[in-house]
Amino acid sequence: MSDTEKILSIKDLTVHYLPPEEPACKAVNGVSFDIRKGETLGLVGETGAGKTTIALSILRLVQSPPGKILSGSIEFNGENLLEASEAHMRKIRGSEISMIFQDPMTALNPIDSVGDQIAEVVHLHSKCSRAEARIKVEEMLELVGIDKSRYKDYPHQFSGGMKQRVIIAMALACSPELLIADEPTTALDVTIQAQVLDMMNDLKKKLGSSVLLITHDLGIVAEMCDKVVVMYAGQVVEMGDKRSIFKHTSHPYTKGLFGSLPGAFPDSDRLKPIKGLMPDPAALPAGCKFADRCEFCTEQCRAREIGLTEVSEGHYVRCVLAEGGNHH
Amino acid sequence: MTPLLEVERLEKFFDVSAGTLHAVDGVSFKINQGETLGVVGESGCGKSTLGRVVLHLLESTGGTIKFKGEDITHVNRTKLSELRRKMQIIFQDPFASLNPRMTIFQTLAEPLVIADICKGAELEEKVYKMMDTVGLARRLVNTYPHELDGGRRQRIGIGRALILEPEFIVCDEPVSALDVSIQAQVINLLLDIQRDMKLTYIFVTHDLSVAKFISTNIMVMYLGQVVEFASAKELFDHPVHPYSKALLSAIPNLDIDQESRRIPIQGEVTSPINPKRRCRFATRCRYAKETCMDSEPVLKEYSPGHFVSCLYAEELDQDKKRV
Repeated sequence: MSDTEKILSIKDLTVHYLPPEEPACKAVNGVSFDIRKGETLGLVGETGAGKTTIALSILRLVQSPPGKILSGSIEFNGENLLEASEAHMRKIRGSEISMIFQDPMTALNPIDSVGDQIAEVVHLHSKCSRAEARIKVEEMLELVGIDKSRYKDYPHQFSGGMKQRVIIAMALACSPELLIADEPTTALDVTIQAQVLDMMNDLKKKLGSSVLLITHDLGIVAEMCDKVVVMYAGQVVEMGDKRSIFKHTSHPYTKGLFGSLPGAFPDSDRLKPIKGLMPDPAALPAGCKFADRCEFCTEQCRAREIGLTEVSEGHYVRCVLAEGGNHH
Repeated sequence: MTPLLEVERLEKFFDVSAGTLHAVDGVSFKINQGETLGVVGESGCGKSTLGRVVLHLLESTGGTIKFKGEDITHVNRTKLSELRRKMQIIFQDPFASLNPRMTIFQTLAEPLVIADICKGAELEEKVYKMMDTVGLARRLVNTYPHELDGGRRQRIGIGRALILEPEFIVCDEPVSALDVSIQAQVINLLLDIQRDMKLTYIFVTHDLSVAKFISTNIMVMYLGQVVEFASAKELFDHPVHPYSKALLSAIPNLDIDQESRRIPIQGEVTSPINPKRRCRFATRCRYAKETCMDSEPVLKEYSPGHFVSCLYAEELDQDKKRV
């Protein structure tokens, strides 16, 4: 695929939270990645790795203060969103880029019917009449598997899975080019999660949207994504297509994530977790941020900042071991 | 051998404005010492309520509970406080289950003080030893929960449950709130202490891969009833009930070379309020026949140690073998 098909291109993004009289919380530190048309990219990492801050930066929703985008660019169809006016951003949000939030219980307005909430998005972005908006909303509800007779029902009348469907209908109502889904199924039961994931895949194919899927579940990545970006302490530590990440896992952290899963090594009677905790983003160590938890750590790792090395085509790893070419 | 815990036809009904909510409805099982019973199912299937009823945190409305052969279904306060030393619980949310005004020391010492087991230097020694056991650094002894991350908080929750040296612990989703690398640390800890202290667990979880990893036997619940009971290996290799099959197939598969073979399951869990006398899964089951709508299946031994509650278990299983 050529460069022109890049929908989103994030370059060297750095976002810190600067609370007064406290040390800066370095949430995102020099992150770069691209999403192409029709592609699903999985953004993987633990709590505090900076995943949600990246998503909020794309929509320019990082609360400021204390949040501040210090450097970098986020190009969406060639336009740097970090320089766009607020009025322009308002046009983009919900129509060209939309977001599904993690918790369907808190993302809906409790005192407005679900139909009207979806209609608001349609009405704002497509300048159509109320009657037209209503038809569009009914279509969307059917598309996500909710009977259109429930248009006037309120969020509390829906179960968690159904609320998440409403939110997906709302996010997709204007056929966005990019859909950001922040842990869309974490709050749902596994059978409902399966329904929602299958539906997201169908809709993505139908509408041709690209998806940035934020998740901590590697099983979901295996089923949904084309490319994977693994984050640790605000940095990309490994990225590549799904096959390279799953079959030629290179970074010790990514290996640790796989080792922590009960399904990864069926014959072992113990899990192989990563020791210790992620460093405090307000006090990041020099050099490799993962060094303290890494079984392969050497003096070199702490001596300098480690860059990304391309170990095979499109597969990047931030590790001293990969630099020598003898990654295992 | 007498099972450590033996539960028969256990019921917990709640009176609600719309009628009677059947949270736990005729559940029977046995657990031998040192074993882990995994209880899985979707939200609202009664798995947490079951754990609480067994521990007398909620009073049962029917059935019997036997602990080491002794009937403990109805007990007085003295007996109850004696039982509490032997039966403990680890809660799901380490953020909500710890008293924010108590330090680690106070939280871990409180059960010993209440049970009047020891004080002074001996108490201190026991608390420090427990911190070592659950992997908390001794320097944290005077910290409060808000100063600690989720993994450490859950270690306090585990330490609090263990400090009276119980024989039986209900683990109610103990790792669901934790990140995957921390989750693995805590699971390993639970396995280590089980081996060292010869503990018996009921492990309530919605995460089927965790259940498979940690359990001896697994019980699949649906709307307050057991639909399938088997050893962890047997259940995963050879699930029989249509609900268990669908539930297992819904787990996202890590193997990117394997085609997803998901068995879709329609709709959502129906209401447990005034359930009709029929198979409770029938409305979502793609094999459901008319008979499923007007007669209630019972849990039957399908093969040795493998119990299934489905009118057509054999037929469905045969079909699968033929295909």
